[in-house]
Amino acid sequence: MKQVIQLHVNGMSYEVMISPRDLLVDVLRKQLAFTGTKKGCGHGDCGTCTVLVNDKPILSCLTLAIACRGKEITTIEGLDRDGVLHPVQQSFVNHGAIQCGFCTPGMVLSAKALLDQNPNPTEDQIRRGLSGNLCRCTGYAKIIEAVEAVAKEHGKALD
Amino acid sequence: MTGQEKKFSMVGKSVPRVDAAAKVRGKAQFTDDMVLPGMVYAKIKPSTMAHGHIKRINTGKALALPGVLAVITGKDSPTPYSVNNHLPTECPLAVKKVCYYGEGIAAVAAVDEETAEEALDLIDVDYEPLPLLLDPLVSMGQDDVRIHDFAPENINVSGYQHFGNVDDALKHSDTVVEGTYTSSYVQNAFLEPQSALADFNPETGKLTLYTCIQLPHYTQGTVSRALGIPQEKIRIVVPYVGGGFGGKTEATPASLVASILSRKLGRPVKITYDRMEVFFQNKGRHPAVMKVKMGFEKDGKITSLDFDTTLDGGAHSSWGLVVLWFTAALTQLPYKIPNVRFNGRRVYTNKPTCGAQRGLAGVQVRIAIESLLDEAANKLGISPYEMRYINAVETGYQTKSVISVGHSEYKKCLQSVAERCGFLEKYGKLPFGRGIGMAGGHYSSGGAYLLYRSYRPHSTANIRIDTEAGVTLFVGATDVGQGANTVLAQMAAEVLGLDYREINLICQDTLLAPMDNGTYDSRVTHGCGHAVKNAAMEARRKLLAAAALDLALRPEHLECAGSQIYSIYDPKKRIPFFEAVGKYQNSWGTLFGVGEYTPPQPQGNYQGKLIGPSPAFGFSAQAAEVDVDLETGQIRIVKYWEAGDCGQPINPMAVEGQVEGAISMGIGQALYEEMIVGKDGRIVNANFHDYKIPTAMDMPEMDTQTVESYDPNSAFGNKETGEGPTCCVAPAILNALYDAIGIRFTETPITPEKVLKALGKI
Amino acid sequence: MYLPQFEYHAPKTTEELVSLLSRYRKKAKILCGGTDLIVAMKDKVMKPDCVIDISDLAALCGIRHQEGKGLVIGAATKLDELERSTLIKEKYYALYQGASVVGSPQVRAMGTLGGNSCTASPAADTPPALIAFGARVNLVSGKGLRQMALEEFIRGNRETALGEDEFLESFVLEDPLPNSASRYLIMGLRGAMEIDMVNVAVNLALEPGKGKVKDVRIVLGAVAPAPLRAREAEGLLKGRIPDDPLLDRVAETCALESKPIDDFRATAAYRREIVGVLARRALKEVLSAIQ
Repeated sequence: MKQVIQLHVNGMSYEVMISPRDLLVDVLRKQLAFTGTKKGCGHGDCGTCTVLVNDKPILSCLTLAIACRGKEITTIEGLDRDGVLHPVQQSFVNHGAIQCGFCTPGMVLSAKALLDQNPNPTEDQIRRGLSGNLCRCTGYAKIIEAVEAVAKEHGKALD
Repeated sequence: MTGQEKKFSMVGKSVPRVDAAAKVRGKAQFTDDMVLPGMVYAKIKPSTMAHGHIKRINTGKALALPGVLAVITGKDSPTPYSVNNHLPTECPLAVKKVCYYGEGIAAVAAVDEETAEEALDLIDVDYEPLPLLLDPLVSMGQDDVRIHDFAPENINVSGYQHFGNVDDALKHSDTVVEGTYTSSYVQNAFLEPQSALADFNPETGKLTLYTCIQLPHYTQGTVSRALGIPQEKIRIVVPYVGGGFGGKTEATPASLVASILSRKLGRPVKITYDRMEVFFQNKGRHPAVMKVKMGFEKDGKITSLDFDTTLDGGAHSSWGLVVLWFTAALTQLPYKIPNVRFNGRRVYTNKPTCGAQRGLAGVQVRIAIESLLDEAANKLGISPYEMRYINAVETGYQTKSVISVGHSEYKKCLQSVAERCGFLEKYGKLPFGRGIGMAGGHYSSGGAYLLYRSYRPHSTANIRIDTEAGVTLFVGATDVGQGANTVLAQMAAEVLGLDYREINLICQDTLLAPMDNGTYDSRVTHGCGHAVKNAAMEARRKLLAAAALDLALRPEHLECAGSQIYSIYDPKKRIPFFEAVGKYQNSWGTLFGVGEYTPPQPQGNYQGKLIGPSPAFGFSAQAAEVDVDLETGQIRIVKYWEAGDCGQPINPMAVEGQVEGAISMGIGQALYEEMIVGKDGRIVNANFHDYKIPTAMDMPEMDTQTVESYDPNSAFGNKETGEGPTCCVAPAILNALYDAIGIRFTETPITPEKVLKALGKI
Repeated sequence: MYLPQFEYHAPKTTEELVSLLSRYRKKAKILCGGTDLIVAMKDKVMKPDCVIDISDLAALCGIRHQEGKGLVIGAATKLDELERSTLIKEKYYALYQGASVVGSPQVRAMGTLGGNSCTASPAADTPPALIAFGARVNLVSGKGLRQMALEEFIRGNRETALGEDEFLESFVLEDPLPNSASRYLIMGLRGAMEIDMVNVAVNLALEPGKGKVKDVRIVLGAVAPAPLRAREAEGLLKGRIPDDPLLDRVAETCALESKPIDDFRATAAYRREIVGVLARRALKEVLSAIQ
């Protein structure tokens, strides 16, 4: 039975009509047109569906939309402000950390969650923080450089 | 002339990619992100049998499910295809029999994806099982079971080449080494599952197919054959592609099925694969069993190479012929080998089909040859570095198969890597369990011929310059994440003296952009680069002629730089670029430039001669230092080094990114990845949980550098860099393992269990 | 890849939860993180009529020390909370290690301690450490509360003693003994998102001053349908001074006690060998940590 629920996404409230079985990734992509969140594997093994829920990185392909009522959801679209990139995003661009771009939204959100939690991570901690996001293009090298650069420059929690 | 002497303004700069901002904001639209009005969804039912006749398919219940709009089977499109249309065997949906577990046998279109998926379960299939052939060595030994009727002993293609006199050379060699090497069943594993959105217009009879494909031109041909529509009525548009690596070169059954359904329903139909389907589709690297023998003089010079390979092609033809002959060609470089014999065959088996994967054919060849070089070096008492250096090709070398190496700095690569990793100080001298190994390789920058016999140019580029849109570059190149769009914009901007961000790009659309041979064989930067440069040069010539008139100067005095046109002798005489454009167009209308590129014809006269020659070769040398946990067998790569000859890097940051990515794919094959086939022919680990591509925790520190290099025959001195480096990784690690624990592994992946077994601990 | 239809409930109190379970019994599945349940439902291995979401039941979350009882950890406590808890890291190091190694940051943000034990995958990362700490589980239903050792609760491959109308409310861990330390080691192929081929948890206490083993628990994972106490190996250690030759024997005994199978990830022979290696390493690390 479909029902209407409210989801808070990127600082705004949306009413969506869903069944309990509807996954957050599909509701975000299809009903709210936030197609920045990707579907890479459907089993939580690749991280491309990563979004932040109450600032924590979670796998939206394994999350029921209905279970997200009352929570703050942040997708990649919620990071930049009127086209001005978030420092993590800008650093990815500057450091060549983006090739095909498919893993990028999930990777950026995981990186943001990591830095919000630990503003001065070691390289090992960065690798660990991104270990749930697969990338086939970059070998992760420039992604890690990009995250290190943000940590060095900002060194405190990013909003 | 070196790159540094050239003093480029845009070329050679590590500028951010033109699409980086869109991707990082989540605004880059990939195929599955697309929505068209009236769009419906389809899903394909995979077979649950690896080899069997389809006796009966019952679709009635599926059709009756509310929300289902159409159900089709193989008889709705029985024309087989393959990427090069050579011995095509694959149909959009299996027609009379299934040849691998997971092959599509029916498809459902419905109002939403959930309904389509539900309907698949309502389709009943009866198979008559046929004997399974899972091992190519078994498959080719028998003829009573044929996967395809036309292929006796299940051989897709076979080939033989002999240059010089190998038997004689071996007989007279001071040292002969030989071995049997195996390369594993791995796949591209791009993060974006293939997706296709087909939009057939019933009024015009024209089809627009949006799909993540590397070869729009060939896809046009495949769709044309599968649907029986003329090619000109088919438009292929490629949205952003989430990685291809060769696995998205061939049109997928999804794209063909979506097209058929769209035509049937007269509305857009989208199909996106689940990850499991991506594994079943495969089109990854060919497992190979290689029997190789090499002869050497006592100073280390290679005298001869005897190379025999059996490629496991899986169920269908796919790239077939090309992989076979490319293997042959790749054995002849990057070392001087005066006598070469090649014997090879590609065999059908009842497994997901193998196609093209980054470093196609090269990865397998290098596993064998780079290992044997080390073995010979040991036997002769010279270092593996010296062994490679004295045999390394140089600029101007021509193989016995008449493949010309127009330009090479391979020796510099070997030197650079050996120096940086401290190879000679470490090799043979590290404590037991720790070792260093090196390997080298090369790759083509595009081949000499198209996938069908034609003399037409491989790339054409148009540049349109006017004050309405600025500078617009039309070129068919497909960016799959390697950065083609950016470097082509840099090249156009270089010629015109503009900023690369000013270049509007119209690419990867067969209606709007001219025909392009596509993104494969590392050809785009080189081949499209030539076309783009030529187009820009023509536009520039016309523009400077007009500017010269305006400035009362000679055109040859003029330079384009910083969005200005000025006299190099009298810089005060100048006109802003777009002002000149304005004046041009007042007199002659919109300014156009056209450029094309066709690589030189292959020389030589032998079987397979068309595949292998390339206008330019890139080279790479690599070293791995490993630390083996002698109790668990775990292998840790302590550090990894690379030195690359890609000529003049157009975008050094992008080059590094490509090399680092290539290394990660190589490490994946060497240590972690393998598709495991069950007794029923099913891929048991068809998911990212058990098919393990490296995570951020698994990648070592990488030290990659390009050597000083400039190929005078390239548009801007550039050569390939995306595939060659993939080929060196596994052998570098295999050689390092030998140095660490004295075991010569001859296969991939090397797992901790294999290490412990080799050490005699289990 | 879509889920089948089901009824969804998100009880706000444990009373509501109890009532829902009494009503639906085995037709219901409890959802807390989703990293196991949703995957199982996508694969059509599970098709519950009703999903009961307890992720917001605050009563089931939290790490609290209760004087006289020990450490009580709510079943719905997220693994990343365990990873970040200084108390867990200081006093129950093996559990910190186990929780930290599960999956990926996202899986740890979603997954729960209770979920990890209730799914009872033979290779699960938290049960061995929990069992090494003598963990007991509190099981609640309409009939009231019952407690049992986690070791008994996990019965086999994805099989637990959880009643149809019951839920796992919390874990109770004994206070660590003085002069004790714990370690948890795993063997997998990649550095993340792994299903372990083998894992080993050790919790050992020495007699003060004498250097003899006062108490020890060695738990082997992924080498039997359920986490396996290496009791013979433990017996060799109790009351003795753990010198190197003894540790070698203990490691060998652990290997012999293990019951690994061949599968596509590894052979039994390899797993057995690794059990010995990890057991010895864990013991050595524990002993060195106690000093």
